[in-house]
Amino acid sequence: MNKEKDLQAIDLKRAARWGFAGRVVMNIYAIIASIGCLYPMIWLVYSSLKTQFEFDVDSFSLPTAPTLDNYVHVLSTTPMFRYMLNSIIVSVVSVSGIILFSFIVGYFVARMKFRGRRLIFNLFLLGMLVPVHSLMVPMYVIFSDIGLTDSLIALILPYICFELPQGIYLAESYVHSIPREMEEAASIDGASFSYTLFRIILPIAKPILVTIGIISFFYCWNEFSFALILISRETLRTVPLGLTLFSGSFTTNYPVMMAAMVIATFPSLLIYIFFSRKIMDGMVAGAVKG
Amino acid sequence: MKALRRSTYFAYLSIPVFLYCFIILVPVAGALYYSLFNWAGGPKKTFIGVENFITLASDKVFWQSFLHNIEITVICIIGQIGLALILALVLNSRGIKLRQMHLSVAYFPAILSAVVVGFIWQMLYDYNNGLINDVLAFVGLDEYIQPWLANADMALILSSIPLIWKNIGYYMIIILAGLAAIDSSVIEVAEIDGANALQRLMHIVMPMIRNTLIVCLTLCISGNMKIFDHIYVMTGGGPGNATNVMALYAYQNSFIRYRMGYGSAVSVGILILSILITVLVRRATQGRPENE
Repeated sequence: MNKEKDLQAIDLKRAARWGFAGRVVMNIYAIIASIGCLYPMIWLVYSSLKTQFEFDVDSFSLPTAPTLDNYVHVLSTTPMFRYMLNSIIVSVVSVSGIILFSFIVGYFVARMKFRGRRLIFNLFLLGMLVPVHSLMVPMYVIFSDIGLTDSLIALILPYICFELPQGIYLAESYVHSIPREMEEAASIDGASFSYTLFRIILPIAKPILVTIGIISFFYCWNEFSFALILISRETLRTVPLGLTLFSGSFTTNYPVMMAAMVIATFPSLLIYIFFSRKIMDGMVAGAVKG
Repeated sequence: MKALRRSTYFAYLSIPVFLYCFIILVPVAGALYYSLFNWAGGPKKTFIGVENFITLASDKVFWQSFLHNIEITVICIIGQIGLALILALVLNSRGIKLRQMHLSVAYFPAILSAVVVGFIWQMLYDYNNGLINDVLAFVGLDEYIQPWLANADMALILSSIPLIWKNIGYYMIIILAGLAAIDSSVIEVAEIDGANALQRLMHIVMPMIRNTLIVCLTLCISGNMKIFDHIYVMTGGGPGNATNVMALYAYQNSFIRYRMGYGSAVSVGILILSILITVLVRRATQGRPENE
């Protein structure tokens, strides 16, 4: 049974049959749910186009004279671009690392027979049980001892490791589904191991690696607590950390804060608009298998 | 295939395995070690044995925080999984228009950062300029206007709502995937036999997505044991300790009050309680027959 395979199949199997009244009720329920899910975001966006005065008078109505001043204010007076750049660097490097290591470890565990194979696999799976927040204090201590805090690598290493167990798990089960003949044929043709691994198996495993990449991108882009304890220098802050730290200076000016949040969310939104189907499928795969 | 040399194994596996041990296992050991000291983070560390754990065992705030984690989990099981289940069933039925749009919209909050979610809801709840109070004033229900998050009795529920809002779509698509795996002929046969919608739901659909619901339950429990971000943003654990949670309490001890030793003991407490709950949940859900 392939629960995670495709949501597409749902379209063909709308099981229940309902009368007219039932259909109306259900459509209304779905519409209300959708509005509930979307309205806070829409409110955020249109309120960010108001002046502070207008927002203070009435936070509900649409802006009478939409203005981009709040955005100009955020981009010119705060290091928002810097935060975005840091987040992009951290996310890209971490996601690359997660994909690469998940693939390699997943492949070795799925295909190779060697002593310690089970040990390695269990080691990673056991890590899934560890609640990451219990690592905050000791990680901070260890990282400061070796002088690793206050650098982007201090975020990249934990992010890779936190997402690795799930990635390995997904990659391992995917490699199982690849026929062994692929490697045998390559071996007969005289291909080296690394050639087989990266030029033959890797392209076949691409769908699952994309899934792993998507799941881990959103984790890295949104992660906050470890950034909070491991980064103190202003120029190294990631977007979520930057948001909380300059929220203090905008506590009385919500529209500016809202503009900052819209900017912070924009990259995720863009990715979501283009890949929503892939993202949903990927998240289901991660949830059900991981 | 040719057997690989040991050096090849080493070349490929050493980096991820070493990195993983260094980032995950060493800090777990570190937490255990530091928890045995009275330590403010400076060079002076005093070994005090298990004293931190004795303090922890009777630390009201810690257990209160743990209870908050549990309460939020229960609220979220009802709110997230319950509402997501209804939404998934509705979206899975015939005659739903704009199905794809509903799916995309309902899932959208799940990709937001918990920090952003926390800020949005803090602004919605705000006393002076929050949307909720403004709407109440608009419809004439002025007597309900209040500083929502400052109300210690309601703060915990109010700070769970953003979590429900964020994750409904996530559970919805998991349940939808479960529903998609049901063989539609089973439903059709039941229909021919005269089972009504409610009977089909209770006797066919629900038992067949039981495993999916267990997955949701497990995810919900493990997810809510580690909440931190949006609470930190919205209430900081307050008013008083009304919304404090375990992870936040560990953070406060270590990084606000500089009690690194005690903070480590709290971390160990989180580790033990989380693993205990995970094991208990697995025990409770695995004992029954599988449907797959």
